[in-house]
Amino acid sequence: MSVVTQSRPARTAGGRASQARPRRRVSAGRVGRVLALLLLAVMVLFPVYYTVVGSVMGPGDIASSPPSLIPHVLTFDNYRGVFHAIPLGRQYFNSTLVAVTITVAQVVCAVLSAYAFVFLAMPFRRAFFALFMLTLMVPWEAIIIPNYLFMAEHQLRNNYLALMLPFLAGGFGTFLLRQSFRSFPVELRDAATLDGAGHARFLLQILLPLSRPALASVAIFVFLSAWNQFFWPLLVTDSPKMQTLQIGLSSLNDAEQANPGLILAGVTMALIPTALLVALGQRFLVRGLTAGAVR
Amino acid sequence: MKHRLSRTLSAGTVALALTMTVACGSSSKGSDAAGSTNAPGADALNSGPVTVSFWHAMKGANAEALTALVDKFNTAHSGKITVKPTFQGSYDDTITKYKAAVQAKQTPALVQIYDIGSGFMADSGQTIPAQSFADLDKMDLADIQPAIKGYYSRGGKLQSMPFNSSVPVLYINKTAFAKAGLDPAKPPANLDEIRTAAEKIKSSGAAKFGFGAAIYGWFFEQLTAEAGKTYCNNDNGRTKRADAVTFDDPEQVKVLSWWKGMVDDGLATNTGRKTDDAQAAFKSGTVAMHLESTGALGGYITAAAGKFEVATAPFPKIQASDTGGPIIGGASLWIGREGHSAAEQRASWEFGKFLLEPANAAFWHTKTGYFPITKAALNEDIDKQWVAQKPQFKTAIDQLAATPVGVPTQGCLLGTMPQIRALVENALESVLTSSKDPKAALDEAASQAKALIDKYNSSVK
Amino acid sequence: MGRERLLSLALLLPSLAVFALFLFWPLVRTFRLSTTGQDLFGRANRSVGLANFKAVLHDPEFTRVLGVTAGYVLLTVLPSILLALLLALLLQHPLSGLRVLRSAFAMPFAYSVAAASVVFAALFNPAIGIANYLVTSLGFAPVDWLTKPGTALISIAITTIWMSLGYNMLVLLAGIGGVDEQLYEAARLDGAGTLRIAWSITIPMITPTLFFLVVVDTIHALQSFGQIHLLTRGGPTGHTTTLVYWIYHTAFANGASDYGTGSAQAIVLLVVVIAVTAIQFGVLERKVFYR
Repeated sequence: MSVVTQSRPARTAGGRASQARPRRRVSAGRVGRVLALLLLAVMVLFPVYYTVVGSVMGPGDIASSPPSLIPHVLTFDNYRGVFHAIPLGRQYFNSTLVAVTITVAQVVCAVLSAYAFVFLAMPFRRAFFALFMLTLMVPWEAIIIPNYLFMAEHQLRNNYLALMLPFLAGGFGTFLLRQSFRSFPVELRDAATLDGAGHARFLLQILLPLSRPALASVAIFVFLSAWNQFFWPLLVTDSPKMQTLQIGLSSLNDAEQANPGLILAGVTMALIPTALLVALGQRFLVRGLTAGAVR
Repeated sequence: MKHRLSRTLSAGTVALALTMTVACGSSSKGSDAAGSTNAPGADALNSGPVTVSFWHAMKGANAEALTALVDKFNTAHSGKITVKPTFQGSYDDTITKYKAAVQAKQTPALVQIYDIGSGFMADSGQTIPAQSFADLDKMDLADIQPAIKGYYSRGGKLQSMPFNSSVPVLYINKTAFAKAGLDPAKPPANLDEIRTAAEKIKSSGAAKFGFGAAIYGWFFEQLTAEAGKTYCNNDNGRTKRADAVTFDDPEQVKVLSWWKGMVDDGLATNTGRKTDDAQAAFKSGTVAMHLESTGALGGYITAAAGKFEVATAPFPKIQASDTGGPIIGGASLWIGREGHSAAEQRASWEFGKFLLEPANAAFWHTKTGYFPITKAALNEDIDKQWVAQKPQFKTAIDQLAATPVGVPTQGCLLGTMPQIRALVENALESVLTSSKDPKAALDEAASQAKALIDKYNSSVK
Repeated sequence: MGRERLLSLALLLPSLAVFALFLFWPLVRTFRLSTTGQDLFGRANRSVGLANFKAVLHDPEFTRVLGVTAGYVLLTVLPSILLALLLALLLQHPLSGLRVLRSAFAMPFAYSVAAASVVFAALFNPAIGIANYLVTSLGFAPVDWLTKPGTALISIAITTIWMSLGYNMLVLLAGIGGVDEQLYEAARLDGAGTLRIAWSITIPMITPTLFFLVVVDTIHALQSFGQIHLLTRGGPTGHTTTLVYWIYHTAFANGASDYGTGSAQAIVLLVVVIAVTAIQFGVLERKVFYR
């Protein structure tokens, strides 16, 4: 059993064949490429630089005219200021709770439905699947008004339920996991059935452990979308204690215009989890995002 | 891949078409707006302890001052009334949330609503006019600043309890003024004088720009009132519900063309709609004259410390012959009727009355920089000391005292006022940033406003 | 029905329940709301037939909103993908020491819409923003980034391009990594240069990835909200009001609660998104190289 790996070779960014190629000599083209990359890097990374460096600048540096590009005095006042301006800790907690709950729920829902689509006999399978795909076609913004009214009518505004409920299931995860489950070797499944494994055992002990990359892709994708939501939390929350980090950043932006350093300190802190995900989870992420396209 | 996705797509379209045919109009009836507006007497409180849910939009120092006042009230009424304040976000959030609460039948007993939400609240049928309580108690409301009382009245009856009020003034960079050879003791009093002063400031290099203010509809409302003109018909909506705005006065057009001329000639800078950006321009010394509420005074003095001196002058008139004055801004407290017991209603009124007491009004004024609601508050010792420390505030007090009370300075009462303010901002912005004719821009705003008002009025009836 | 069939439906149930309550029912309700008028609190209290649709279609704003929406899609989708393609091609064979650049270029992906918009709002600030400082240091006149009708949409587009660059680049790198190495070897043996290889092998081979990005980025652009809300609130004078922002403006902004008209606009959005996606599949997909 342990010999079985993904039937497809993993497509890591860049391709590993390139590493094996013998190094070429330094050529004019290569120097040009490096220069172009460095120039682009300066352009692309400048906002990142400004975010981090600006967050440790005092008003004398950042809010002066002309502005400084390097801090003359290092200060961490901005970081303290953020906590004074918004309940950042609480909003961090809100964002985490909401995004993690949504991620877990969506992964569970997607596993169940994808399993049903792939491994079980189902009446009206095509119609049901089309229904799932339809959910991907309806822009959330087009149905945001009735959803808002639903929350207002049921007194769910400023409630975690309002932030979570609509997103506990999604078509994307089902679509992606279905793709992954379909490539699962039939022989393995038959062998498991012969061993007397029921659906639960097959799913939990064989299928899921072997589908970890796909599960990770779904989880990271769902987590990022949930974490980054803006329009919906803006509508259904107004007390700062119930707001998510994204809305917190927006109110920092509204309230602290005179002190960009403080806003940037908030951004820097809000960036930490996603920056880590991008740094560590890139491989799964790319695969998840491109599944169905690069094939 | 291709095949499957296109089929999914068409399946989606079919399902959509189905949904379309299923959808058909059936609507629920709105609840009746009318009802008893009788205010309960003091005996309503005899039925045992009562809690007043109180929604507000105050934060920072304002929230701290409010909490102190609530605590004082709760201690004084211990065992009988508990006011429970909850912060609801911005003014806009509060009114949005209030609408949602009406839908869910969960409105607060007392709610703080911004000035331009007054028309909506008066139409909502959800509240009891403060006047009903005052009449019942035979309470004299004459001590409330007339301009403030006027703003929150309809048909001569006070609708809500005035609470936090502010007025706009002309802020001046005294240092730049002196450098340009201008006399800060004789500040410009109308738009043309601001232009003349701006020319001197610019040519002397005392500041980069002579003038700068946010594209903020409030200033247009103020200037209209300063000119003694109405903003909407039916006496600014005070005698009868207004059904159109009155933007056709040449003086109003002049506001836009003057502003455009200032920007085009490099005498003023346009920082857009965000008040923060305009404030930053004044704080950094980039602009020497600036329109803003008295509420910004404290921040300006702090920011200017060591760089320049801040002075204030009365809010400008459009032209020298104008006879009007500024309108009050801020927010007031509305007492809920629908869904609230007589005890809650009465307790809310008691809290509103408490806030009007001179000592409390003076406390509020000095802690927050909002305008004192009653004349008596100005005579409190803490108030006198505070004004002595911030002489710039004196301008606002004198200005309000000199304001003629009348229809123009009461301001316009319209249920769609927030949206109409945005339309005026659109008009001003389009004039400043394109070659749009000021008169055409205002006409367009007026016709868009008409559509909004008609729709609103048809939903009230 | 057999046990397995029942089980299969039971497993779909959690998802279906969520979809029914928060997707399909709201979809139906959007259509119903679009034919109603609202009372002061936004409760539907009368049927108005197609009046809301008439109002939307005859609104002079409507044409501008469609124009802004189309302009925004054009200004964001292609530039972002082309720039990402350039990056991906430059990065495809990692040079020693430059490998770290790949992660660096992916950094914008870590920014949420709110985070990126807030940072660019500071950069574009008229008084103390660095954007104008750089522009004026290069000897140009300062730019009214967010306050001028002609430039505001471009400024928002710049923000969006920056934000989506990291993701687009990662996806394209994945696509390029999947290209058969033998094709490159063959081309090299034929004496093809770097540019030529990129143009006649890499790009044709990754057309499915490019197509995927065009579709996904277009849908994203059509749904953009946060950057517009945080940078311009749809202004100046409506010059950055896209369809989604228009819905917000009608139904929620400035204390509005015109859910009827907002729903009619939402249906326009629905039609536009579905039509654009269908057109992309119809036209673009034919040009895509499939393996």
